Amino acid sequence: MAAKLEVRGLTKRFEQGTGSTVPVFAELSFEVANLEFLAILGPSGCGKSTLLRIIDGLVPADAGAVFLDAKEVTGNGHAHGMGFVFQSFDLFPWLTVRGNVEFGMQMLNLDRPECRARGSHYIELVGLSGFEEAYPYELSGGMQQRVGIARALAIHPEVLLMDEPFGSLDVQTRDLLQDELLRIWQQEKKTVIFVTHSIEEALYLGDRILVLSPRPSQIDRVIDVPFGRPRADDIKTSPEFLEARREIWALLKHSARI
Amino acid sequence: MHWLRNKWTLRALGIACALLIWEALGRTVGEALLAGPLLVIPELVELVADGEMPRELAGSLRQMLLGYALACCVGMPVGVAMGRSRIFDAILRPWVNMLVVTSVASLVPLLIVMVGTGFGFRVLVVFIASVFYIVLTAYQGTRGIDPRWVGVGRSFNASRLRTFWRILLPASYPFLITGARIGLVQAIRGMVVAELYVLVGIGGLVNTAGLYISTANLLALMVTLMAVGVTANEALRYVGRRVAPWHEERYANGA
Repeated sequence: MAAKLEVRGLTKRFEQGTGSTVPVFAELSFEVANLEFLAILGPSGCGKSTLLRIIDGLVPADAGAVFLDAKEVTGNGHAHGMGFVFQSFDLFPWLTVRGNVEFGMQMLNLDRPECRARGSHYIELVGLSGFEEAYPYELSGGMQQRVGIARALAIHPEVLLMDEPFGSLDVQTRDLLQDELLRIWQQEKKTVIFVTHSIEEALYLGDRILVLSPRPSQIDRVIDVPFGRPRADDIKTSPEFLEARREIWALLKHSARI
Repeated sequence: MHWLRNKWTLRALGIACALLIWEALGRTVGEALLAGPLLVIPELVELVADGEMPRELAGSLRQMLLGYALACCVGMPVGVAMGRSRIFDAILRPWVNMLVVTSVASLVPLLIVMVGTGFGFRVLVVFIASVFYIVLTAYQGTRGIDPRWVGVGRSFNASRLRTFWRILLPASYPFLITGARIGLVQAIRGMVVAELYVLVGIGGLVNTAGLYISTANLLALMVTLMAVGVTANEALRYVGRRVAPWHEERYANGA
C-alpha cells in the first residue's frame, strides 16, 4: 500500500543554555500507510511530542522532511492541515462545545450551514449530543477530550495526530475513551498517529507500534500488532496480549534510565 | 449556631458592629470631630431630598464618565499592544510605570496652568487618574495568555489577524474588565481631587462641608461617594460575569 505519510531523515536538536545543542532525535525515518493506526511508544522525554509537532508543522525540523501523499510539506511555513488532539485538551474556555468544534472549520472559511452541519455530526459522533451549548469548565476531562477529538475530525484531516490524548485522564475514563476512539476510527476511516507512553494503550489501539529509544531517540523496533479488528477490551487479558506486553516492557526496561 | 455560618448574616452583623462603634466614638469625641450615624443618616436623607447634592453629583459623574470612557478607549488598546508587542512594551512601559505611581493630585497645579479649570480640566484629571491602571492591567493580562491557545490556533492555520480577534482578544476579556473596574475606582477618586481644587460639583460640596461646625454633612457626602464607588464596581463585576462567565468559574474551580 502507498504510504500516506512518510517521515524521512528527521533530525531535531534543542538548544541547551550556553549555545550548545542536544539532539532530541536524529535521522528518524518511517512510513504510515493509508488508514493505518500507528502507535508511537517511548519513554518520557524521548521527543515524541516534538516529533508530532514537526509532522503537524508547528515546530521546524533541523533536517529531514515530511511527505504527505508523496508531496513534501515540511518548511512551507504553516500547519499542514492535520487534525491535532492535544494532551491537555486545550479547548478555548470562552467558546461552547459547538464553538470549539467549529473553530477549525471557520479557519478553513467553510460557510455557516456547513460548519453547523458538520459540527453537529461530530458532536454526535463523540457522544456529546445535548452538550452543544456547554462551556469546557462545565465538562469532565473525558468529555473535554471528546470535544478535542471532534474539533480535530471536523476539519476532515488527512491524518489525525494524537499527542498522549488520554494521558491526563484517570484509568477508567482512559479505558472507556480507548474504546470510543476505536469505534470512531472504525466509522471515520482515518490515518492516525497516536503517541503514548502506555504499552497497553499502544497494543490495544495500534496496527503497528514504533518503539523509540531514549534521547537521542531512534526507532528501537517496529512491532506488528497481531490482533484483528474490531477489538474489545477482553483481549487485554488474553495470553497473547500479556506476552506482547511483557516483550515490549523488556525492550523499554532495557533502555530505561531513571 | 448554624445561622452564624450564613455569609449574609455575618456581613449584616459586621456592619451593625461598625455602626455601633462609630456611634459610640461619635458620642465620645462630639459632633464637631466625628458625627455618629444617628446624625449622619438624617443629614443624608435631607441632602438627597433638598436636590442640590444629587444635581451636583450627576454633573460630576457626567464629567467623570467622559474622562473614564476616554481612558478605557485609549488604555485598553495600548495595554494590549504593549502586552503583545515588544516594541510597544519597550517604548511605553517606563512611562506607564512612572506615571502610575505619580499622584494625580501633584499634577493638578500643572494641569491648571496648562488647560485652565474648566470642563476639559476635570475630564483630563479623571483620564490621567484611571488610564494607567487600565493600561497596566490589560498589559499584564495579555502578556500572560496561555501560549497553548496560540498553538491550537496555529495548528488550525489561524492567520495572525484571526489569532488576534478569535484567541488573544477573548482571552484578555477578564483582564480588560478587571482593568476597567480598577480604573473606574481611580476615576471617581480623580473626579473628587479635581473638584476639590476648583470647587465645583460634589468635590466643591465636600470642601464647603469641611467648614461647617458639625461633621454630619461632610460624612453624609463621604457616605454618598462610597455608595457611588461600590455601586459602580458591582455593576462592572456584573458586566464581567456576563462577558466572560467562563473565567470566574474556572477561577472558582481552581483550574
